[in-house]
Amino acid sequence: MIKNKKRLMFFKMISLSLLRRRSRMIVALLAIVVGATVLAGLVTIYYDVPRQMSESMRSYGANMIFTPDGTDSLTDEMIERALSYIPARDLDGYTPYRYENTTINKNPVTFAGVDFDGVKKTAPYWNVDGAYPTRDGEVLIGANVAKTFNLGVGDKTVAVSSIEITEDVDESLIPDYEIIEIDGVKSADHELPIKVVGIIQTGSSEEDYVYLSYSDVEYLTAKHRGYDLVEVSVNSTGGLESYTTSISNGVEGLRAKLIKHVAASESAVLTKLTSLIFIVTAVVLLLTMICVATTMTAVIAERRKEIGLRKALGASNLSVVGEFLGEGLLLGGVGGILGSVLGYVFAEIVSKNVFGGSITFLWWLIPVTIIASVAVTGIACLIPIRSAVDVDPALVLKGE
Amino acid sequence: MASLLELKNVSKIYGDLHALDDVSLTVEKGEWVAIMGPSGSGKSTMMNIIGCMDKPSLGQVLLDGKDISKESQTSLTTIRRDKIGLIFQQFHLINYLNAVENVMVAQYYHSVPDEKEALAALERVGLKDRAKHLPSQLSGGEQQRVCIARALINNPEIILADEPTGNLDEANENIVLDIFRQLHKEGTSLVVVTHDPEVGEVAQRTIRLEHGKIISDEKNENFVE
Amino acid sequence: MFFRMIKGTFIHQWKKMLMIALTVALGTSIATAMLNVMLDVGDKINAELKTYGANINVVSKSAAIVSSLYETDEATDAYLQENVTGELLTIFWANNILDFAPFLDGQVKLDGTDQKVTGTWFHYHLSFRKKGSDYIRDTGINNLRDWWEIVDGERYDEQADFYKDAGDLFAMVGENVAEKKNLKAGDEITLTGKTTEVVKVVGVFSSGDNEDDVIYLPLSTAQRLTGKADLIQSISVSALTSPEDETSQKVAKNPELARPEDYELWYCTAYVSSICHQIQEAIPTSSASAIRRVADSEGDILNKTELLMTLITVLSLIGSALAISNLVTSSVMERSQELGLMKAIGAKNVRIAGLVLTEILLVALVGAVSGYFIGFGFAQIIGHTVFGASIDMKGMVAFLVAVLIFAVTLIGSLPAIRNILRLRPSEVLHGR
Repeated sequence: MIKNKKRLMFFKMISLSLLRRRSRMIVALLAIVVGATVLAGLVTIYYDVPRQMSESMRSYGANMIFTPDGTDSLTDEMIERALSYIPARDLDGYTPYRYENTTINKNPVTFAGVDFDGVKKTAPYWNVDGAYPTRDGEVLIGANVAKTFNLGVGDKTVAVSSIEITEDVDESLIPDYEIIEIDGVKSADHELPIKVVGIIQTGSSEEDYVYLSYSDVEYLTAKHRGYDLVEVSVNSTGGLESYTTSISNGVEGLRAKLIKHVAASESAVLTKLTSLIFIVTAVVLLLTMICVATTMTAVIAERRKEIGLRKALGASNLSVVGEFLGEGLLLGGVGGILGSVLGYVFAEIVSKNVFGGSITFLWWLIPVTIIASVAVTGIACLIPIRSAVDVDPALVLKGE
Repeated sequence: MASLLELKNVSKIYGDLHALDDVSLTVEKGEWVAIMGPSGSGKSTMMNIIGCMDKPSLGQVLLDGKDISKESQTSLTTIRRDKIGLIFQQFHLINYLNAVENVMVAQYYHSVPDEKEALAALERVGLKDRAKHLPSQLSGGEQQRVCIARALINNPEIILADEPTGNLDEANENIVLDIFRQLHKEGTSLVVVTHDPEVGEVAQRTIRLEHGKIISDEKNENFVE
Repeated sequence: MFFRMIKGTFIHQWKKMLMIALTVALGTSIATAMLNVMLDVGDKINAELKTYGANINVVSKSAAIVSSLYETDEATDAYLQENVTGELLTIFWANNILDFAPFLDGQVKLDGTDQKVTGTWFHYHLSFRKKGSDYIRDTGINNLRDWWEIVDGERYDEQADFYKDAGDLFAMVGENVAEKKNLKAGDEITLTGKTTEVVKVVGVFSSGDNEDDVIYLPLSTAQRLTGKADLIQSISVSALTSPEDETSQKVAKNPELARPEDYELWYCTAYVSSICHQIQEAIPTSSASAIRRVADSEGDILNKTELLMTLITVLSLIGSALAISNLVTSSVMERSQELGLMKAIGAKNVRIAGLVLTEILLVALVGAVSGYFIGFGFAQIIGHTVFGASIDMKGMVAFLVAVLIFAVTLIGSLPAIRNILRLRPSEVLHGR
């Protein structure tokens, strides 16, 4: 009963001190909230930005390739097995390529069978004038091919593939063609009418190819075959090397390699960026905490008289420290809660504006922020209180 | 029976300055003593020593027969809390607590806060209806009465008042002095430090200090019980 | 008297004044460091991104039209003269060109099988003279192919002591070739093209792409092997660029038709398109184009990094502004009694406000100046730990910070001063 009443008075005193001295309370709270916001906001960003940056690095497209290793080509089953080594959430996309040589107007052109949805992921930098093909017979052509054959979007032409009739030719794909036999070698000229729906510009070798669907390539060559190359785009926050090693070892006949200039600069930029944010966070946090401390010191220091009075009324040093600390800690707690909310809001704003996505909510950051702001506030209060309680009450009360 | 307060050859020396110089003084229970003197006479030093806020350099201070001159800072705090009620010239109310809460702070450090008792103390000084007002909403006289109520709340052995009317106009001064008279009647011991002759002369006994020494100590013949 | 009073404040309240100065210093240092880092981070990340390699490809104008698909095409007009390379150093944005290297591809026989070779510069000392000026640059693929992992041996370097006077019969071999032909550093291989050259393998590299199938040779060796003296096929250029925006893209499509002021701005900004344009001006026989994969992604990452840093900077600026104005407010409020007394003895409001403001601004000045230097230190620490390079300190930042701190201090003092001016002296002196 007695204890309850004392405790009640304790809380009444510290809460009234905060409520009725509103302007001072706001000053102190503001300082703490700013500190806590910086803490929560920057730490959230620090944890989440590398992930988000890594995702936007995917605009560079593929950073890993699979090639056949001692086999003629890669099968769907091999690719699937290889991809199983990469966690699904880190796999941004992949595109198997099947290259075949054919001709347009009797000139040789390399055709590449691709999955256009995959290409959008692994080669997002393709600048397509026109559209991506949506049905069989529609093709994308490289800018160089377009110039060479004077083809524009919407133009139609015919790709001709001269097929040597061997065992692996699926003759059901060439039912109506005239088979010519020269010196015991049977061959047929197989035609595929194509329509250009888009022209790609990349500034590099992609401009020399014609891209079309797998089924068109199959029809054109009359051969069932696997893929020559798979481009894979993987989110990396490190550990790309280990994927390639385990895939190369784990899948017979398939070799995984990093596209080094992409992978290396990705990790370089990510590392720099991460350490930049880390050190910025550290510096800003340190300075903000000092600011919180100086403000708290100022707020407490102006109450020396009150401390003297309490001592004159018979308060022990311990209880004075207890009351002022209680006040500081309450303020620190409230500031910490507000700060973790505002910090999250800030991080979310950053994430929305910079990366266009949501930030990961770090639940553990809430208690950390609250504890940190309580601790900083507590320490910041303790220093001036300690020096204040040591003063002679008589001096304080006498002095103006 | 021992005297309530006894100073035996007390000196307080700051460097070369003898703020109190070999002062001896006895205050009996229920007495109303005024300590007077110009500034620099040692009033404040004496007040601090009696109020357990300072220790003498030489000599003994007996409060209720107990020597407090050698006590530690901590036990002085305890003694002050239990035996002394302080009244200040500047009132020193906590500005974010209302009248009754200010009184309760003294209870809180002493024993247990009890709003009923605190209200009763305010009623004694005629401030019951202003109990929920903050210091800034009270006049100077009212603030001083809250201060008196706060000093009274723990039934101290001595009420120690330092220039209690120094910041008050005449009307309020009279109210405060009336309360002192009332307290005296009820048997409370009062030590009032003042330089105001009017306040000094209404006391039962007037002690004059000059240069750290007692130059006179006389009963007030006009004193009305 | 005014100054004596100010002096008095500094002497008697030095602790408080020190605290304000300290807080202002801290706030200033955050602002200085963050603003400088923010303004410099673009350049720094841009430099990092150069690991992605070249972002501009320069080929002969005719080669750009006659597809490189015709590998059999021997027409000399598909090549550039080797000596035009130096022209790159003469363009407006030459300082933004970090590295470049010419390339010449050819097919040769190695042990009876076809082998692709590429001639280039590794770490070449280019000295170019034009209109009486000398342009000198060390450049080549050792920087441009920074990501090459040397599996065996070392990188070839024309200027290294060991190779300086040892002729040009050296080779860097791609990993796949080395594997197929069982080559290692120190081996000698015989390449047969138009001539036959015996070259020594300096190192084996892994690149992860089709360069692993190629043997890289010094340019002169490749020119002999292919019989194309003084000719090159393409130049890869790595340049620091600013992200393209709508206007720049519009101008780039048709520079001649753009409004003169748009053209001017575009020409004088380091857009990849304007650099390409300038290269074509300098080498009229060439066609320069952006390697989209690199150029686009760089712009994207650069924009994001800069925006990110800007937002973090804004947060820290708000933080330090609040901290400063906070402390100023509380320290001025604290002095209400003293200032009330001044009113009581007849000081006019304006004088009191003037006194307080002068004091605070003086303290803030001291804090801000020291804070600027602390901030300079922090910026350099950040620069060196993160990028291993100094952060450029911009004069603009000093000005910006000065204005900011002045404003913040002033704003911080305002509510407190208003409070004081409203005070009635009697209230203050009676301790209410």
